[in-house]
Amino acid sequence: MTELDTGAPVVPETAPPDRKARADKGFLSRAGIVAAVLVVAVVLALVQSGSGLVVWQSVVTGILTGGLYGLIAMGLTLIFGVLDIVNFAHGAFLAVAMFLSFGMVQATGLHPYLTLVVAVPALFLLGAAVHRGLLSGAGGRSLENQLLITLGLSLLLENGLLMFFGAEPKTIALPGDFQFPLLGAVVAGSRLYAFLGAIVLGGLLYWLLRRTRLGTAIRAVAANAPGASLVGINVRRMHTLTFAIGTACAGAAAVLAGPLVTVTPTLGEQFNITAFVVVVLGGMGNVVGALVGGLLIGLVEQLTTIYLGGQSSLLGVFVVFVLVLFLRPQGLFGRRA
Amino acid sequence: MSTITIAAPTGSSEAVKAPPLRPQNKQLAILAILVLVAIPLPLILPAAQGAVAVRILIFLLMAVGWNIMSGFGGMFSFGHAAYFGLGAYTSAYLLVKHNVSPWIGMLAGMAVAAAVAVVIGYFSFRYKLQGAYFALATFAFAEMLRLIVTSSTFANKSVGFSVPLIQDSSLWLIQFPADSPAYFWVALVLAGAAVAISIVFLHSRAGRYVTAIRDDELAAASLGAPVLRHKLMTVALSAAITAVAGAFYTQYYLFVNPDLGFGSAISIQAIVPVVIGGIGTVWGPVVGAIIIGSLTDVTATLLRTPPEFLGFLQGRSGLDVVLYAVLVILIVRLLPKGIVGTLAARWRR
Amino acid sequence: MSARMLVAGLGALALLATGCGGSAPMGAGGAAAGRDEGPVKIGALHPVSGSNAVDGLQMRRGAQLAVDAINAAGGIKSLGGRKVELVTGDTQGKADIGQSEAQRLISAGAVSLVGTYQSAVSTNVAVVAERNRVPFVMDVTASDAIFSHGYKYSFRVQPGSKAIATAAAQYLKAVSEQAGKPVRKVAFLHEQSDFGSGAADAFTAAAKQLGIGVGPNISYDATTVSDLTAQVTQVKAAGADVLAVAGYYRDSLLAAKAIASVKPDLSAVWGVSNGAYDQPKFVSDAAAAGNLYFSTNYHYDATNPATVALREKYQQQYGDPMRTGAVLSYDAVQVIAHGVEQAASTDPEKVRDAIAGARVSPLTVGRGQIRFAPNGDNRNAFPVLMQVRDGRVQQVYPPEKAESRPDYRVAWRP
Repeated sequence: MTELDTGAPVVPETAPPDRKARADKGFLSRAGIVAAVLVVAVVLALVQSGSGLVVWQSVVTGILTGGLYGLIAMGLTLIFGVLDIVNFAHGAFLAVAMFLSFGMVQATGLHPYLTLVVAVPALFLLGAAVHRGLLSGAGGRSLENQLLITLGLSLLLENGLLMFFGAEPKTIALPGDFQFPLLGAVVAGSRLYAFLGAIVLGGLLYWLLRRTRLGTAIRAVAANAPGASLVGINVRRMHTLTFAIGTACAGAAAVLAGPLVTVTPTLGEQFNITAFVVVVLGGMGNVVGALVGGLLIGLVEQLTTIYLGGQSSLLGVFVVFVLVLFLRPQGLFGRRA
Repeated sequence: MSTITIAAPTGSSEAVKAPPLRPQNKQLAILAILVLVAIPLPLILPAAQGAVAVRILIFLLMAVGWNIMSGFGGMFSFGHAAYFGLGAYTSAYLLVKHNVSPWIGMLAGMAVAAAVAVVIGYFSFRYKLQGAYFALATFAFAEMLRLIVTSSTFANKSVGFSVPLIQDSSLWLIQFPADSPAYFWVALVLAGAAVAISIVFLHSRAGRYVTAIRDDELAAASLGAPVLRHKLMTVALSAAITAVAGAFYTQYYLFVNPDLGFGSAISIQAIVPVVIGGIGTVWGPVVGAIIIGSLTDVTATLLRTPPEFLGFLQGRSGLDVVLYAVLVILIVRLLPKGIVGTLAARWRR
Repeated sequence: MSARMLVAGLGALALLATGCGGSAPMGAGGAAAGRDEGPVKIGALHPVSGSNAVDGLQMRRGAQLAVDAINAAGGIKSLGGRKVELVTGDTQGKADIGQSEAQRLISAGAVSLVGTYQSAVSTNVAVVAERNRVPFVMDVTASDAIFSHGYKYSFRVQPGSKAIATAAAQYLKAVSEQAGKPVRKVAFLHEQSDFGSGAADAFTAAAKQLGIGVGPNISYDATTVSDLTAQVTQVKAAGADVLAVAGYYRDSLLAAKAIASVKPDLSAVWGVSNGAYDQPKFVSDAAAAGNLYFSTNYHYDATNPATVALREKYQQQYGDPMRTGAVLSYDAVQVIAHGVEQAASTDPEKVRDAIAGARVSPLTVGRGQIRFAPNGDNRNAFPVLMQVRDGRVQQVYPPEKAESRPDYRVAWRP
């Protein structure tokens, strides 16, 4: 059987000082290029649309939506980076968590954000069970089997939700939602919360991966699984744990995003594609990269709408995606292993 | 991997004893028998099952196409909808706008799909995309094609093309009365030819290069195999066969729109039968297409008229898909190399 | 391990076997089998699973209620009181599944088909019907393209996309003039597939004839859009006084939220074939943001006592409010039963001819009895203007179908 090698994972790692300095310089120059391209793109959009207000609102919306994308992609990038699994069920996990949140709000009248307390652990357990039961071992090793299992799982979860909750779209109302003007553009409070949530979650994951023993173990497994097992790390347990943390992130993202979307069993499909693009853009396994990648994709979507009226905003996203795949497959902010 | 030759799943060892046939001839002989057995099927099956049988053959064409690139060649494509859609749209466009026979449209579609595949392939190999990255790139290209077609006036935007109906039947226009067995026979010939081509290709000099490159690209290259050329050839052949599926699909369903042609569901449809049947094997796509092609119908039928003890399930929407998903997951978990792959591995032991 | 493998292998083989045998008991031998005896079969094709399952199930039940009503009234009298039976199929919202299900129902002896809710699926089923010479009466199907192929066996009860968009422009002119604030410039926000773009094009053409300017024309991708604030800001910047919206439920709700936060200087929000703004669900989901929204669409006739009675019955039987789609399915089945009655035959070709000349009073809003034009479209299909008022959707225009007078303004401006 063919072993489909995806190259070594590119979780950020500490490099020797001289290489580090060089890498930092490369990082800075790349960030500079991206920023410059963005500025030019915004100026061109200004020329194209002729309305400063529209472009400013687009930028604000792009950044806020981008935060949401980053939030959703964080769990995915962790799973992709550490386990090398292309998890097509991520969107379905999101939907499960959203229905969980919806159900609790309906039943108890809790504030939607408080359902984090239940949704995150529940998704953690679900993720652990899925990894242990379906994805670990020989059956889950090859890319095609992972693809079919995760696709099958997403069908299963989505239609399971359909059976129990029905296809009727649901909404989660955020009590005391507000909006405020920001130099003429409007910002909805619920979107701002999701954006801030993305930053907090990104920070938490970064801290977990870089500053704790568990994070060190996860990074060791990602960089070199046989080596990690030699120094006494239980690789399979680390994999299950990482997968569970990744799905728990989906749980957190779902609760924060719940008030922004219409909750339907198939809502995950809407975010799946974008989330994969964000993961590749940010460099797989790179949590902070996912956040930045999300912001970029949010902006690209909004700018595409201005440039190409009548075209799907996805077209611009895919063009950027393919360019990044070809020119920097390790992601804009990942490092070559 | 020592050999990629796969024995047929049926007990064919005693069928032929002497003189020993070369593996491809044996496989071709089995294929001929299978095709002969299938010929009377549309006369026996009721009309609704006849439609399912044709759907199985369309799945089979797609599966064979995908298997050549991703199974034999080891280049995992998640964007075969691109080639299916190009086949469907090229033939539909030529027929509707220029009144060109769908047979010629099919050839044109094959050429277009192969050309596009070579371009996509060239860039992907040039930039050394592998595994999941290659899969995501192919996915992105298929989606871009879908979005471009959706907004292109010459392709009728999101409305798509309806094939004009004719009064009588015509082989030249591939149009027959609704429940005519001719559809099945045309599809059978196309699918049989596709399987035959995949057998011949696998055992040809080029095919041996391709599998060698898949198993160890560096070693194959150092032994002098022209890597890029063979990869591109594989990709082109795979795309062309998938385009045939698309062109025939349009003639059979008489309608195509961007989602039916280029939707990501099509890419998945090309993959699932092969993985279920056995990736990289000759018979895997055949077995997989038969199972997957009929599975939706079986689950739907089971739930429409459930046995007594399952009566409470009737009318629960979503349940048939749940059942389908569970079966797919179970098969992948229990038979990680697919049905044919697992059986063959046991056979050799 | 080997035992597990064996079980799996056997399971797979069993699957294969059932696959070949499949639903054999369901399909009858010849195409016409069973038409001459037993109940008269009408085939209903709807998406009862997948993302449109709610509407699909509603419509299947609407068709069933019509069948029950016909049987309660003594069945088909010209055939000696033969009963009618609904045979059902699930399209799953997919065109190819719809095609094989249509074929199955025809093989099972259906004299006519009714369905399918989605245009792409209806396009495929229309072809099957045409080639099997079995009439196909569409309840909900927005696309007008199907009726441009010269099909003989396709009929439609609901007003098409173009009819609705044209009426929307006319109503807008009339209502705005009545209110003393004649419309100047309409911005059109629509999803970019056939459905939304078709509505926008037809509306623009009709508006031009009436001397109303349309622009900007803003489209979005309904499958992925998650925020429409920037698009609504564009409307605000363009200074339009009416915003027309053609979209599905989810994205139209997003648009309502965006409008509520941007608060452009509009006189009215005008739904055109809109999938949300005439739904009771929208009224509760959008709450204050949706108040006073207009919508031009097909609708069950709230002023008709028979419709009110039917909807009460549905509510009793299934515990849900009956939607317009289900009432259209009810009408479509009535048309078919009427055709069989007139033809005094279960021969689909004779039924087709009788349907082509049918006169049936609908329970949905119409200009009169259902009568089909030569291309199969309902001549008297007639959209109505609705408005969200006092926490419910009310018919407000034209006057003969109105429950109350239109209130031409938006909620966030005095």
